[in-house]
Amino acid sequence: MDETNRDLITSLKQENTRDRAFNQLVKTYQERLYWHIRKILLNHDDTDDVLQNTFVKIWKNIENFREESSLYTWLYRIATNEAITFLNSRKRRSLLPLNDVSDYLMENLTSDPYFNGDELQLKLQKAILQLPEKQRLVFNMRYFDEIKYEEMSKILDTSVGALKASYHHAAKKVEEYIKKSD
Amino acid sequence: MDELKNNTPELSKMKKEPPFNVPENYFGDFSGRLHAKLESETNIYPKEKKGIIRYLKPALGMAASFALIFMLVYWPIKSFLPDYMAETNTVIEQEIEMDTYMPSLERIDENSFFTLMMETITGAEETGEELNDEELLNYLSANVSDYELYMHTEN
Repeated sequence: MDETNRDLITSLKQENTRDRAFNQLVKTYQERLYWHIRKILLNHDDTDDVLQNTFVKIWKNIENFREESSLYTWLYRIATNEAITFLNSRKRRSLLPLNDVSDYLMENLTSDPYFNGDELQLKLQKAILQLPEKQRLVFNMRYFDEIKYEEMSKILDTSVGALKASYHHAAKKVEEYIKKSD
Repeated sequence: MDELKNNTPELSKMKKEPPFNVPENYFGDFSGRLHAKLESETNIYPKEKKGIIRYLKPALGMAASFALIFMLVYWPIKSFLPDYMAETNTVIEQEIEMDTYMPSLERIDENSFFTLMMETITGAEETGEELNDEELLNYLSANVSDYELYMHTEN
């Protein structure tokens, strides 16, 4: 853990410096967490809701952060859990089968005014939506964010080997989907 | 990454930037909106009070539960259990027996009592229940005077 983050955590845990430190934390991580959540949910409005919930959760639990993992890993884990919880609540509300949320996400993507991709990028997003939830997460984190497997392992609580296999399968499926739809 | 190029050539040709954007000045305003949300959340869920009550709460809760269980289960069972009724009846029966026999015992004279006791001893001998010498001596010294004993042996 670098010195800046250590100072930030110390300030977050002290009541008199917490407000200012939290503002700094939000400014530092809001964009990174936003794009991480956006790639899971695809729609801006949903992402905005989940990002706010993520920071509320961070605020409420900062005293319980035990520094066993890096701050960045902890924040990513909370954001990922919040995004998945949001998707699950959508599944329950629309009575979708537990693994089938791709239609909802596709509608999210095409109706979102803040989607500015070309046809090829839309095709890639559609291909990613065909993947099972865990593979979709791993693919997004590795392909777009280039997060190291070791880091990803801490965020998703999955072994490095399983993550590598998951990414390999996901990439092959995406490639096949793109080839087929040409 | 080379592996990705070899195995997935179509994928490796694509742009890696996500095809999304955000409303103008979204990240600039985010902090303010989050602050407003946090304030409303804090008002709805005020911070838990620290102190001894917080630590005693579980113990007090358990104590209250046990008391409730005792009142709802143990006390009614104890009140209506047949053993309890039986115990009460035995005491009442014993009292009745004592009330019945005490006046008769008080009316009996010493000679009749002695005869009754001798009959009981003789009956015991007949049924094979023998008294040893020590028991007999104890009995006679406690209940019969020396003069009575002398007169009884002379006759």
